[in-house]
Amino acid sequence: MRNLASLLFAGGLAFLLLTLLSQLAFGTPPMRVGSEILAVAPGEVGAANLVTAILLGYRGFDTLGELAILFAAATAAGVVLGRRRDDARRDPPGGEVLRTGADLLFPLLVVVGFYVIAHGHLTPGGGFQGGVILAAAFFVALLAQPARHLSHGLILWIEGLAGAAFILIGIWALVASGDFLAPLLGPGRMGELLSAGTLPLLSLAIGLKVGAELAGIMAHIADAEAPDT
Amino acid sequence: MISDLAVPNLFVAQAGQLVLPVVLPLLAAFLMQPLARVSTALARGLGPLVLILCAWITAQLWIQLGDAPFTLAIGGFAPPLGILFYADGIALLFALAVPVFALLFWPGSESGGGAGADSRPGSDQADRDQAARRDALVLLLVAATTGLALSGDLFNLYVFYELAAVASFGLVALSGTGRAQVATFRYLMISAFGSVLALAGIAILYMQTGTLNLGQLAQLAPETLNNPIGSAAFALMLIGFGVKAELFPVNTWVPEVYAGAPARVSALLAGLVSKLAVLVIVRLLVLIFPQPEAAQMLLVLGVLGVLTGEFAAWRAKDFPRMLAFSSIGQLGIVFVAFSIGGEIGLLAGLAVALHHLIVKSALFGLAVRWNGSLEALAGAARTSPLGAALFVLFALSLVGVPPLPGFWAKLTVIVGLAERGTPLDITALMSILLVTAVEASYLFRVAIRLYQDNPDPVARHARRDLGVSALLGAVLVAATLGLRPVADVLGAGAAQLGDRAGYIETVFPSHVAGKD
Repeated sequence: MRNLASLLFAGGLAFLLLTLLSQLAFGTPPMRVGSEILAVAPGEVGAANLVTAILLGYRGFDTLGELAILFAAATAAGVVLGRRRDDARRDPPGGEVLRTGADLLFPLLVVVGFYVIAHGHLTPGGGFQGGVILAAAFFVALLAQPARHLSHGLILWIEGLAGAAFILIGIWALVASGDFLAPLLGPGRMGELLSAGTLPLLSLAIGLKVGAELAGIMAHIADAEAPDT
Repeated sequence: MISDLAVPNLFVAQAGQLVLPVVLPLLAAFLMQPLARVSTALARGLGPLVLILCAWITAQLWIQLGDAPFTLAIGGFAPPLGILFYADGIALLFALAVPVFALLFWPGSESGGGAGADSRPGSDQADRDQAARRDALVLLLVAATTGLALSGDLFNLYVFYELAAVASFGLVALSGTGRAQVATFRYLMISAFGSVLALAGIAILYMQTGTLNLGQLAQLAPETLNNPIGSAAFALMLIGFGVKAELFPVNTWVPEVYAGAPARVSALLAGLVSKLAVLVIVRLLVLIFPQPEAAQMLLVLGVLGVLTGEFAAWRAKDFPRMLAFSSIGQLGIVFVAFSIGGEIGLLAGLAVALHHLIVKSALFGLAVRWNGSLEALAGAARTSPLGAALFVLFALSLVGVPPLPGFWAKLTVIVGLAERGTPLDITALMSILLVTAVEASYLFRVAIRLYQDNPDPVARHARRDLGVSALLGAVLVAATLGLRPVADVLGAGAAQLGDRAGYIETVFPSHVAGKD
C-alpha cells in the first residue's frame, strides 16, 4: 500500500516536472531586479565583487539566516553526538608521513583561509568559502591525529562571538541610520582592501563563525565513539 | 517613508525595530552555549528574558504603528532590490504569538519527564551543554517563525522556513531515544525533499518574473504567472511549504515525530510552526496565485488531509499520536477554509487556525504527563481533575459544540463552502460534517475513559503544564464570551490579509515598480 502510494506520488511529480520542462522558455530570463542592482550596487555598496555586494548588502539578512541555519545544524549535530564515554576507544593515529604532512599544511590552510575571507569583497570567495578552508585546516590535523584534543570551549566562544559580531554590526547600523544591516563607513574606493564599508567586517565574522562551526562538528564526530571492531 | 524620519534612538517605536524580534533571539542563540560555560543561571534566564523583550517590542510597534499595514526595507535598500518586512495585523498577531507561545512552552526543567527525559547518564557538564543547545534551538525556532510571519520576500521566507526546519530536527532529537532519532531522520528526509521542491518553485517564479519581492510578484502575476507554469510553480511550493503545514500527502512524519519528541516541542511544532507555514501558503495564494486551479489544489489536498487525519486519529492507540492525527485533520480544515477565498474564506481559515493553535498547544501541554497509551489514562480525572476538565473543554471546542469558539470557526467554514456550492465544495462540506462525528467519537471515548474508575491512575500533571493549559483554556472561554469583538478583529485582519491591491500599494506607495 505504502509502495503504491509512493509510486503514484513519484509518477505525479515526474509528470509535473516534465510538463514544466516542456513549457519553460530557455535562455531569456527577465533581469528585473538583477539589472537594477548591477546599475546601482557599485555606487551604493562599493564592493568590486558584485556577488558579495548582494550577499552581504542587498540580501545581507538572508545571509544572517543562512548563518543561523548552519549554526542550527551544528547545534543539532551536537545534540545527537554530544555524549562520549570516557573509556571509549579512539581511532588510531595516522602514520609519520600523514602527521608531518598535516602539520605542514596547517599554517598554509589558515593563511589561505584568511586571505579568501579578507578579499571577499574584491575577488570570488568570502566568509563562507574562507571559513570552510579554515575549518579544513583543523580537519586535516584531527584526521591525522584523532587523539588530539580540540577545545570545545574555545570553539564555542569563537563561534558565539563571531555570530554576535555580525548581528551587533547590524544593530549598530540600526542605531546609526535607522536600518538594520545598512552599509556603514561609506563605500570607499572600489578595489582597495579597505573598501565597501562594513562588508569586510561582516565577511570576517562569517568566516570565523563558519570555520569554528565546521571545526566543532568535526570535533564532535572525532569525539564520537569508534566502533568496537 | 518612515525610515527617512528615523531618530537614532532605540527607545522610540519605529518601523526599523521590527527586525529586533527576529534578530535578538538569534543573538541570544549564538551566545547561549559559551554563556552556559560561564554561568548556568545566566544562560537559563537569557532565553525567557529575550522572549519577553521580543513580545514587548512587537506589542509596542503594533500599538503605535499598526493601524495600517507598514513595511520595513532591511538595510535601507528600497524594494524590490533589498529584503522587505511587511507588517499587517495578521503578521503582527503571529509575530506576537510566537514569543508568547514559546514562553508558555519553554522547555526549561523537564519536570514533566516521560518522553523528554534523557535515558543515558552523563556528566554535569554534558547535561549543561545539552540544556544550552536545547535553549539555543528553541530561540532559533522563534527567530525563524517570527521571520516567516513578517517577511515580504520569497527567498527570505524560504531561508526562515529552512531555519525552522533545521532547528526543529535538533529539538525533536532531544529526547535521545532511538525512536525519536528514527522519527527525526524520516522528518529530515521529507523536509529536505519538500525544501527542494519549494526551491524549484521559487526558481521558476524568479525565472518568469525576475523578482522575489512579494509585492512586485503580485503586480506581475496576472500577466506572467496565470498559466500552467505558474500553477505548477504553485504546486511545487505548496508541497514544499506544506511539509511543515502538515499538508496531505507530505505529512507522514507527523505522528512519529509528535509521539517521539518532548511534548512541549510537539506543542510548539503542532501549534505554532504549522500555522506559520500555513500563513506563507496563504500569502502566496492571495498575492501571487489568485487563479482557481491553485485554490482547487488546496481544497482537494485539504479534504484528503481531513479524512485521512481524522480516521487515523480514531484508530490511534496512544494520546500523542491521537493528537498528531487530529492535528492533520484540523489543518486540513484550515486548508479547505483558505481555498474558499474572499473575505469569508480568509476569516474562516484564520478562525480555525487560531482556534487550533490554542487548543492543540494546550492539549500537547497535557500530553507532557499523559504521554502513554490511551488505556493508561483510565481514571486520570481522579489524580488530575482540572486536567480532565480542561481536556473535556478542549474536546468540546475541537468538535465544535456551541457556544465554544470551535463551533463558530467550523460554522464559518461550512457557510463559506455552502455559499460557493460547487460539487467539490459540497464534498468538502460533507467530509467536514462526517469527520465532526468521528472527532466526537474518539475525543469523547477518551473523556469517558478519564472519568472511569481505576485504582491505579497515572500521576498528576506538573503544576506548570497544568497552569499553561488552564491559561489557554481561560483564553478559550474568554473568546466564547467575547465572540463578537473577536470576530470583528479577525474580520478586519482577514480583510487586510486578502487585500492584494493594498499590499502592492503599501510596498510601492507611488505605484512605480522597477524600471519597466
